[in-house]
Amino acid sequence: MSTGTTTAGRTGSGGRFGRVTVRPEFTLAVLAVAGFVALAVATDGNLLTRGTLDAFFRFLAVPIVIGLAQMVVLAIGQMNLSVGTLTGLCAMVAAWLMLEAGLPAPLAVLAALGVGLAAGLVNGLLVVITRINGFVVTLATMTIIEGLRYGVNGPDTFQGYSQGLRDLGTASVLGLPVVFVFALAVAALVALFFGRTVAGRQLLATGGSPFAARLSGVSNDRSIVIAHGLSGLLAGVAAVITVAASGSVNSSIGDDLMLPSFAAPIIGGVALTGGVVSVAGTCLAAFLVRLVDVMQAQFDINPRWIDLIVGAVVLGAVLLGTVRQKLSKGSP
Amino acid sequence: MPLWANPRLGLLILLVALIALFTALRPAFMDVTLTLVPLQSDVSVYAVVGLAQLAVLSLGHMNMAVGRMAAMSAFAMGLAYDRLGVSLVTGLLIGLLVGTLLGALAGLVISRTGVNSFVVTLAMDFALVGLITILYTRFTDGVAFGGLPAGMDALRNDTFADYCTGDVCGPEISLVVPLALVAVLAVGVLFRFSRLGREILMTGANGRAAELSGIPVRSRVVQAHALSGLLAGFAGFLLAANNGAFSASIGDAFLLPSFLGPVLGGTLLAGGAVSVLGTVLGAGLTQVIYKGLNLLQFQLDQLNLYIGLVLLAALSLDRVRHVVADRKGARV
Repeated sequence: MSTGTTTAGRTGSGGRFGRVTVRPEFTLAVLAVAGFVALAVATDGNLLTRGTLDAFFRFLAVPIVIGLAQMVVLAIGQMNLSVGTLTGLCAMVAAWLMLEAGLPAPLAVLAALGVGLAAGLVNGLLVVITRINGFVVTLATMTIIEGLRYGVNGPDTFQGYSQGLRDLGTASVLGLPVVFVFALAVAALVALFFGRTVAGRQLLATGGSPFAARLSGVSNDRSIVIAHGLSGLLAGVAAVITVAASGSVNSSIGDDLMLPSFAAPIIGGVALTGGVVSVAGTCLAAFLVRLVDVMQAQFDINPRWIDLIVGAVVLGAVLLGTVRQKLSKGSP
Repeated sequence: MPLWANPRLGLLILLVALIALFTALRPAFMDVTLTLVPLQSDVSVYAVVGLAQLAVLSLGHMNMAVGRMAAMSAFAMGLAYDRLGVSLVTGLLIGLLVGTLLGALAGLVISRTGVNSFVVTLAMDFALVGLITILYTRFTDGVAFGGLPAGMDALRNDTFADYCTGDVCGPEISLVVPLALVAVLAVGVLFRFSRLGREILMTGANGRAAELSGIPVRSRVVQAHALSGLLAGFAGFLLAANNGAFSASIGDAFLLPSFLGPVLGGTLLAGGAVSVLGTVLGAGLTQVIYKGLNLLQFQLDQLNLYIGLVLLAALSLDRVRHVVADRKGARV
């Protein structure tokens, strides 16, 4: 994960290497390592046992991908409230195709990705055509998708689908769960998209300043559709991971993903105003939140304290970011 | 603005049409005790929930913690009734104070740090959701307070038809309706006639211009958020009165309706303009759809599909109206 904060239109002053230590990703990385070591010591090394470590990374995959799904729309200064429910819908569709329609797993996986992409594109097109605020559009589509998600199988649970897919969900490669490696690969692709492709740079330009972007010949409408489409596609990816790793899905999948999808990018230093993304920051923030989760499980703390802590961490991270901004503005 | 371009009128027509449709399909829709009285109670609660969101939408802000502020207020009320044995009104005031303080706290953080209101209230929501469960498990046996004040039962079950002077009885209107009406009127008067309300709207329309005009922008932000907390707390009280219990689940389902009402009613997310009447109509429309589809024996979760579609349709129509009005050169 070498890609740090990617900004458009805002090049920082000062040397590249001198600024590494003041980057939010650096702070997050230090925090992540320190937290991990502290937790490993506090649990007498229990964290480092095979089973615990495996579970730690396995259930880190979805938070990373869902955080990225939110990040790509934050890049253009919009929000996607439907990421959570869309993940649920895609997961239900994949399971339905395998169990009821008898499709082989690879096709079902592709279909889930297709549903995610299509729903994302619809979000984007609705925003572009109606000119209604993205927040409101995705609020509406979130509600619609919630209904569809329930419609796939009612209150019942799908289980016992493709053994191959479930094996993949529990398999490991080089000591790391396959799904986690997969999530990292997806993160690398997203980083590549924002860092190296024209479409990615244009997305950031739109987010940074729509007016300036238009004057430079960037189609803001296209950026909006691409960002929402990509967000939907990533929700589909999260769905595939969920289907593979959990072994059973029902219509409640995705309910608890909406808030974490914002928490990861925001802690990771992504601006809500658009134009700034941080793939590494988002991944590290997801790691930190997962660390808090595991701490709760290891010490048998009331899970409710975790929400409290995460809330405090989000606010703290944002405040820190504001202070940092003020400081860097004060000393140009 | 020409009459046909008024979103409230379209909403009213839609509302009447839906009521007619549901009555034609299911005559039970006009059943007073089974449908109309519960419907009044629901509309009362969600109209106030919508107003709680509207209070900050006026600034162009959001309150993602609206449900949790309601829950904290309800907790304070429940605690006061159960442990201190205070009267109905005193407990209500205590709860409203808690809601107001929470809102003011959010407003204070936003105005002092300049951090996006979405992030601050989202973090607050995270924090409160944990705190509320912890508090309920500590102070109650299970999930709700046992002790209720005198008068709570009447609020829940009675209509004005139960109170007669001689032979003349009141109409079949639930007792919570006038309470909600007071809130609606107060907010309406505040934003239309009072100096404070107008200054909040100006702050929302253009913060910089408002500041240059001598409006204390920061304290207006705090006051608008405090109002949001106050109204959220009041909505929590109304829901507790309807349910007959102060429980931890109060406010869980507030977030979506809090946006539906104002947005359907034509309040912009950009700030600077609000429609109190529209919010009430929007809340009414949503609840009529829920009740109607419920009577038609749709699954509760599937209802969301139609609510979302109606929201999208209403917003798109609104957009069409604006475009047509622009073409005709009318000032909208």
